[in-house]
Amino acid sequence: MSLLQIAKLSGGYGDVDIITGIDMHVGAKEIVTIAGTNGAGKSTLIKAAMGILPRIAGTMVFDGIDLMKLQIEDRVRIGISYVPQVRNVFGTLTVLENLQVVEHAPGKSARIRDMFDLFPALAGRRGTYAENLSGGERQQLAFARALMSSPRLILLDEPSAALSPALTDQVFEEVKRLPQADVAVLMVEQRARQALAFSDRGYILDAGRIVLSDTGASLLANEEMGDVYIGRGQSQAAMPHAPSTHV
Amino acid sequence: MDWISIANAVINGVVIGMLLALPALAITLVFGIARFPNAATGDYMTLGAYTTIASQMFLGGSIVVAVLGAMTMTAAISLLMYFWVFRALAERSHVSRLIASIGVAFAVRSTITFFAGQDQYVVDLPLVRAWNFGGIRILPTDLYIVGAALIALLLVFCVMYLTPTGRRMRAIADSPELAAASGIRARRVMIFLWAVAGAFCGLGGALLGIKAVVLPELGWELLMPMFAGVILGGIGSPVGAVLGIVTFSIAQEVASLFVGPAYKVVLAFLILLCVLLLRPQGMFGRPIAAR
Ligand SMILES: Nc1ncnc2c1ncn2[C@@H]1O[C@H](COP(=O)(O)OP(=O)(O)OP(=O)(O)O)[C@@H](O)[C@H]1O
Ligand SMILES: [Mg+2]
Repeated sequence: MSLLQIAKLSGGYGDVDIITGIDMHVGAKEIVTIAGTNGAGKSTLIKAAMGILPRIAGTMVFDGIDLMKLQIEDRVRIGISYVPQVRNVFGTLTVLENLQVVEHAPGKSARIRDMFDLFPALAGRRGTYAENLSGGERQQLAFARALMSSPRLILLDEPSAALSPALTDQVFEEVKRLPQADVAVLMVEQRARQALAFSDRGYILDAGRIVLSDTGASLLANEEMGDVYIGRGQSQAAMPHAPSTHV
Repeated sequence: MDWISIANAVINGVVIGMLLALPALAITLVFGIARFPNAATGDYMTLGAYTTIASQMFLGGSIVVAVLGAMTMTAAISLLMYFWVFRALAERSHVSRLIASIGVAFAVRSTITFFAGQDQYVVDLPLVRAWNFGGIRILPTDLYIVGAALIALLLVFCVMYLTPTGRRMRAIADSPELAAASGIRARRVMIFLWAVAGAFCGLGGALLGIKAVVLPELGWELLMPMFAGVILGGIGSPVGAVLGIVTFSIAQEVASLFVGPAYKVVLAFLILLCVLLLRPQGMFGRPIAAR
């Protein structure tokens, strides 16, 4: 059985449905990537899974638990974590405080030590306010904060946004390591070609609907879809990065 | 203008500023965490002043007991209003909460006048003479007022920066969504917030009652100067709120030497305008673009 099972999910911010009829699943220790054009509803779908979207309908089950009735805080408790596309750390808290503030992290100080072992760059900056971190350090802190509660599923919204190609590679290396720690990944990525290359499966979203789903490798091989949704060319990292449009 | 008058005006400004720093901090914390400018802040102060008077009238006893009673009363009313009014509006726009808080302000004031009428009251304290240092006058009562305010401020800053509850408060003020995604339950933090905000308004009101005549418009009339002080310090910055209101109060008192008490408010607001022209984010606020 899948860890996360979504069926006939629709929802939005106001009266308009931004996402409609979404069927998808994420298995334990799987890496699943959602790709699609700007404004397709990728962030919206991730927010729906976290319980942040104001209005949703359909079914969502995590590890046998009905998610539709659960608050955001309770989703954290049962093992779901979320790294937003923007504002993914508490800028006015120090690095250490960003980790301490996370609830549902039993053995907190030991867990914080683990995080500093995992991200050594953060250990030396524990007293720094997060808003003063570099882009790469910030992204590491965002990961560490999300991992504090020992999640079984982590929702990542464009982890490579605003990062240089070198830092993107580094972030992707960290994502690849997550399944070994029994963490499944549901990830939105603009650099879809690069992300699908190490994803177990992928979904292509267009105008709020899933238009294609397949293994990562097959999606990369699918030429007509590839040109439209994933971007042409061998490696997006080599191309000038088009920054996402919203602030 | 001789420097002794100016020094006395500065001292007076510091005392008033420290006293108003309590409700100003309440405004900043509520603004940062519950996300609206609470127009009932002034009338919570008035409630604190009247509770002090009532407790002295009916229970006798020391001023310390009366002041603690005032803090308890305003904290209780503040919590009641949270559960009754502001909690239900949590998901609405901040304007709806602002309007509701104006309603709460009127309700609190009407309840006070219903029981106490429009009469003026004074807090019953033994008269003490000011110490005179070559023209510079210091009232012992003022020292107590500043001392009480300082202790309360220090306590809350310790809670904010040294305890898990304070960390949660700052996280919610930073980003409510990320706080929820970190498993933080906003409701528990809100209860703490409203209790502290209420108690601070009560203490501020009681101390103001010691310094001034107590009448129903006592707090309401201070609302604009308090907002101005908070804006001057930088909205959302607790340290800024304290330093902002103290600066604003000193400016007001010194200005009254030159233009007379009737125009001191105008002059203080002029200073506020000039500061904001140079530093739109206030003295300690962060530029919006950096967030
Ligand atoms: N908070 C919001 N309130 C109202 N509408 C929103 C909100 N956030 C997004 N939308 C709308 O929902 C639609 C999908 O937005 P979403 O952010 O999910 O797209 P996306 O696929 O993540 O795009 P991008 O690649 O630019 O991040 C857009 O039309 C957007 O205008
Ligand atoms: Mg997005």
